[in-house]
Amino acid sequence: MTSPRGLAPPRLTLRQRAVAHAGTAGLHARAQLAYRADFVFRVLWLLLQVYLLALVWRAVYPESGTAPAHGGQQVTLATQLAYVTYASVQNWLLTPAGLAPTPIPQRVREGSIAVDLSRPVAFTTQMLAAQGGIVLAAAPFAVLALPFAVVAGGARAPASAGAASAYALSLVPAVLNALLLAVVVSMVSFWTLEAVGVFMIHRVVAHFFAGALIPLWFMPSWLADLAQLLPFQTTTYTPIALYLGHIHGTGPVLTALAVQCGWTAALWLIMRLVWARALHRVVVQGG
Amino acid sequence: MSAAHPIPRHRAYRLLVTAAFRAEFQYGGNLLLTLAGGVVAQSVGLVFLWTVTTRFGDLGGWPMAEIAFLYGMRLTSHGLLVVPTSQLHSLDLAIRTGEFDRYLVRPAGPLMQLLCRRVHLPTLGDLATGIVVLSLAAHHVGFEPTPTALLYLGLALVGGALVEGACQLAVASLSFRMLSNLALRGLIDDIMNTFGGYPLKAFPDTARLALTYLLPVAFVAYLPAGVLLDRADGLQITPWLAYGAPLAGPLLYAAAYLLWRAQLRHYSSSGT
Repeated sequence: MTSPRGLAPPRLTLRQRAVAHAGTAGLHARAQLAYRADFVFRVLWLLLQVYLLALVWRAVYPESGTAPAHGGQQVTLATQLAYVTYASVQNWLLTPAGLAPTPIPQRVREGSIAVDLSRPVAFTTQMLAAQGGIVLAAAPFAVLALPFAVVAGGARAPASAGAASAYALSLVPAVLNALLLAVVVSMVSFWTLEAVGVFMIHRVVAHFFAGALIPLWFMPSWLADLAQLLPFQTTTYTPIALYLGHIHGTGPVLTALAVQCGWTAALWLIMRLVWARALHRVVVQGG
Repeated sequence: MSAAHPIPRHRAYRLLVTAAFRAEFQYGGNLLLTLAGGVVAQSVGLVFLWTVTTRFGDLGGWPMAEIAFLYGMRLTSHGLLVVPTSQLHSLDLAIRTGEFDRYLVRPAGPLMQLLCRRVHLPTLGDLATGIVVLSLAAHHVGFEPTPTALLYLGLALVGGALVEGACQLAVASLSFRMLSNLALRGLIDDIMNTFGGYPLKAFPDTARLALTYLLPVAFVAYLPAGVLLDRADGLQITPWLAYGAPLAGPLLYAAAYLLWRAQLRHYSSSGT
């Protein structure tokens, strides 16, 4: 980034930036949809996963059909099955595992990162829009998969009208946090160039600590405490626990939403910080 | 040495494997990270099982140590298979791009060349994790390393690898006719990875029977692990089938290889 100040492009208006980001998102969504056959495969993986989890929970659940969670609340088998179904689908959607987890490593390798850097919108928000496009492309498949997942696992209506609206509200920071986490993780490739290992670790850790395999309420307390300290739970566990009414009462619900939003702000700052350091590391390979 | 095989098979294999590893080790700095990725990805299933059994006791009557033994056996077999054969996944690609044409004119078997086109390093993480889990679990379940038990374990591990490999090779060989069946192979891979490490006894009959006879997942590790853990009576299967489980691998693989040879004759170049 040695271009003299005088050549810096003028700042774009808010509207121009919105158009630019929508364009980026659309581009990446279309790129994903070019591999429609992969989605079939990924949806089948999701359904198998839900089916296995449902089998395991049915096998281990006590005869009485209910088991105490942390804090003494009873969790029925039906609630547990609904949890694993919704949590699996939501986590599958928000943490895409396809051919292009995020575009950064590829762009670093191909050198097209140089073009991204010269665009008049911030690279960080470009990448957020790109990741958003990738998630958006998977959304119709998640909607199609949901009824099948419900057959393999289970379903429940929201615990109350309040629970439904809390869920809807919590989805906003859940999506933002998932996108921010993906972008932060993919920036590691500025240091490592190849990112296969980093992505694998991120996906597995995010999957587990998001509560996609086990809800925090059935984790040993030290593990649940650790999960509470990490940002991943805000993408999956929090929204589903709100929906099922496991987190209920004005105080706990507002706290849960505040924690989610707190992480959105924190992850945004982390992304900016990592980016500021990464910028000095950019090695453009060919192009 | 004959005209058909100017280079002995073992020498061709050694050359190709060395080249594949050398290519992969060029990214030195990422090697550890990639391996760590493989280890973490394979461990999470075990962490899940550990968390569930910590909270709810056992699964289908199997305590955690025995589940870990089964899981370790499955993962070791999987590792033994995928380290040398991960490139079977690229068969479709090799056919589509015409790379497969080259295999037919070189002095080595086409299957060997396909399998040696690259190595996928995370598979070493699978194998390492499997061995570590199996060793630790063997200690915890009080596994007696008698010569008979060790021999049976060794045969079972190789047999398990061959069962999985046979399923993959059989379906892959259909690629010569239908070009792409990656999704089907991915599905079989997923089913084996997802259910292979679980005591199938915990599942309802339909699931258990499908995972025994429709897709031979039970023969990979569940049945031989049951024998080694003295649970042969509780496997809900004729005991001789459980004891003979390690034989399923070589038999199925031989059948799959015959199918591969037969289907290879239907190969027609994509022309690219």
